[in-house]
Amino acid sequence: MRIRTIALLLILFGMLVGFNFAHAQNAPEASEKGKQVYENSCAHCHGIEGRGDGSAAENLLPKPRDFTRGLYKIRSTETGQLPTDQDLFDIITEGMPGSSMPPWDTALSANDRWEVVAYIKTFYDGFKEAETPPKQINLSGKVPYAEQSVETGKALYTELGCVECHGDVGRGDGTSAPDLTDEWGFQSWPANLTQGWNFRGGSDTEDIFKRFIGGLAGSAMPAFEGDSFPGFGLTAEESSRMIELDNKDEMTEAEEEESAQLYEKYDAAVDIAVNLAEGTELSAEEKQIYDDAMSVVYEKSWHLANYVKSLMPEKRPEPAIGNNVLRSQYIQGELPEMDDAAWETLEASYFPLVGQVVIEPRQFNPTIDAVNVKSYYNDTEVAFLFIWDDRTHTTDETDEETGKTLEDALAIQFPVKVPQGPTAPKPYFLWGGRLPVYLWHWKASAPDQVTELTAKGINNAGVQEAQGELQAQGTYTNGQYKLWVKRALKTDDKKDLQLESGVFVPIAFSAWDGANGDVDTKRVMTSWYTFVLEPVPSSKRFIYPPLIALLSVGFLFGLRAFVQRRNSEEA
Amino acid sequence: MKRPSLFTICLIILVGSWIFLKFVVGGIISVPIPGSVIAMYMGLIIIAILVHISVEDSLFREFRRPILETLVEDKRRLHRRVLVVLIPLLLLGYTYSIIAQRANPPGSPRDAHPSPPLELTYKDEVIGTMQDVVNPFRHYEKDDPEAFKAHVENGKRVYHQNCFYCHGDHLDGQGHFAPYLQPLPANFQDPGIIPNFQESFFFWRIAKGGPGLPAAGTPWDSAMPIWENTLTKDEIWDVILFLSDYTGYQFRTFGEAH
Repeated sequence: MRIRTIALLLILFGMLVGFNFAHAQNAPEASEKGKQVYENSCAHCHGIEGRGDGSAAENLLPKPRDFTRGLYKIRSTETGQLPTDQDLFDIITEGMPGSSMPPWDTALSANDRWEVVAYIKTFYDGFKEAETPPKQINLSGKVPYAEQSVETGKALYTELGCVECHGDVGRGDGTSAPDLTDEWGFQSWPANLTQGWNFRGGSDTEDIFKRFIGGLAGSAMPAFEGDSFPGFGLTAEESSRMIELDNKDEMTEAEEEESAQLYEKYDAAVDIAVNLAEGTELSAEEKQIYDDAMSVVYEKSWHLANYVKSLMPEKRPEPAIGNNVLRSQYIQGELPEMDDAAWETLEASYFPLVGQVVIEPRQFNPTIDAVNVKSYYNDTEVAFLFIWDDRTHTTDETDEETGKTLEDALAIQFPVKVPQGPTAPKPYFLWGGRLPVYLWHWKASAPDQVTELTAKGINNAGVQEAQGELQAQGTYTNGQYKLWVKRALKTDDKKDLQLESGVFVPIAFSAWDGANGDVDTKRVMTSWYTFVLEPVPSSKRFIYPPLIALLSVGFLFGLRAFVQRRNSEEA
Repeated sequence: MKRPSLFTICLIILVGSWIFLKFVVGGIISVPIPGSVIAMYMGLIIIAILVHISVEDSLFREFRRPILETLVEDKRRLHRRVLVVLIPLLLLGYTYSIIAQRANPPGSPRDAHPSPPLELTYKDEVIGTMQDVVNPFRHYEKDDPEAFKAHVENGKRVYHQNCFYCHGDHLDGQGHFAPYLQPLPANFQDPGIIPNFQESFFFWRIAKGGPGLPAAGTPWDSAMPIWENTLTKDEIWDVILFLSDYTGYQFRTFGEAH
């Protein structure tokens, strides 16, 4: 009986496992079903013929994938290889964060997703012609995450030239960042490495490593191999020596010869990589040189992956919704200036931005992820620190199409009057309407100035006649803006918002990235969130609780005395 | 084994019931029970216990015996000492947590569905009464399937150039901008949405957007744009055809029961 039960359980377990892996690895033959699912769920972006030109594509960046070229960014396979079926299935299932590709795990059954994989492959003949399965990246040499590895990775980050596009601290603000285009000629922004939640193929160390080795086919990100990997074919010591020699103003004869030798070795290895990519058969000796070179690349890539991993928080911050509102902390005395260490101790509230897609001209492709906000207040004033990442510092650029001046900017929006009670309507979230809003408008060209506006609609804003005593200071460093603003809680101006401790005030944001063509209504924004001057906790909390505790002790002793007396009386 | 005292049994019943309500029903079975309902049940249980022990004098005496013993007798000294520390500490913590609790923003008491105006308009043009207006292209579904298909296709195009950022590729309200909007965009795959409304209602909501919502039932906080500023009348009707065609749900027609 017992054995039968165990056997039955084992069979059930086997079936479950079987279900999960039934489809792993290979898609079925392309069928009418796959075409149907594709045309119903995918074609509006990727196009009926898979060219990435569906009706929605026009407004999207990153552009939907063109399946006819066989170029796939997110793969588990080596450079120049096609993705595995499982790779395609995973992308459909999980979507691509930071782009308009959603996860299809709930909308399409696993079967349908496999059918779509099979159908997508029909757009590119290379899948049919391939004689061997694509070569997968070997992950076995993983270097565990450790301080030493991160340090090594950090040095490589500069050595390999990652800085050029991804910037000094990884915010995607490198000098060549604005000029990058993909295979199809579309703008291709380098990743902001501090925002792992926007990595299209996931932000696990393995994911990052795979992007290095496999490259992001079709984008500006090269695979680590051959001439796209400085020092290819050299050992770690040799490549550092090569850089050292390159940086010397003058070399001795011996050094010149040494340098020439290193370059010869590098060139030879690069040639082999090129030959291999072109399909030339390698000799045993060449193969050895290539394998040695790649083992150095693999190890360096693991260190670099660990470094990139160290740049990002573990997960995306929680948006400031629900009870997680922006709470300004009370302090006594002067409010902290912009560089004060007091800001470090505060946790920022996170306000994710979305494109303004309501009023023409619209912004469908935001480049600013979010605004992070911290705030302090005292008895008379309130201070804010707004922090947001922007890959480019644009102060005065002319839009080729419209002739308008493009520049980076931020606007903070409040209602003029705080809605009284939970059912009172707020002004329309897009710069008000029937009910007006009160705005602080900051522009990168005048970083130490904030203008007060009143608006009754996105195209109906005016500068306030009476500009209050608003102090501001703005900076741009390493792809990040910081704006510090200070204002009195109460002002004489009726068009200003008056602030009071403990009152929940609606707050919203608009931001402009000049380099992304943002101007006027074309911008990124939030809907209404909530902000409060957190009331100073009542000092009663130090009086009543101990009092009650003391009373309870008294009561217990009293009760004991009472019982004792009664017992002795009874006796 | 010694039978536990009446007091212990009552205590076990009390604590056991609370754990059952809070963690078994509310947690494992996951039927959410409001705190006030739990408090009501607990009150009833306490009353039942009080009734039980006061039925007979002997029962009451048995019930209070361990309490009295703990208060005075030498053999219970350890119990006594623990309790005289524990009870004030618990009270201290509890009152502190109540006083120091920080205020949270009021939740929004929102009606699920706004009541539409009597007349349906596009910009300033009156189309008809909300009850009577029908989708002018709906009849193609029977009369001219080819023309119907063309209208649905056009609706699909309009949807993917304007709506899908928030309402999603799958019309499930999970577009890539959706997670950061409050309230969330409508989910057309929800069986309670399309079948409950006439097409004229959808036309009204699309044409007038968030700002066109009625004065009653605020705050709506809807981020829905005023689409009559961007889309033609025909485009709005086409997109409505697409919504029902893609999801497979039929709009309510007037006179039909809910």
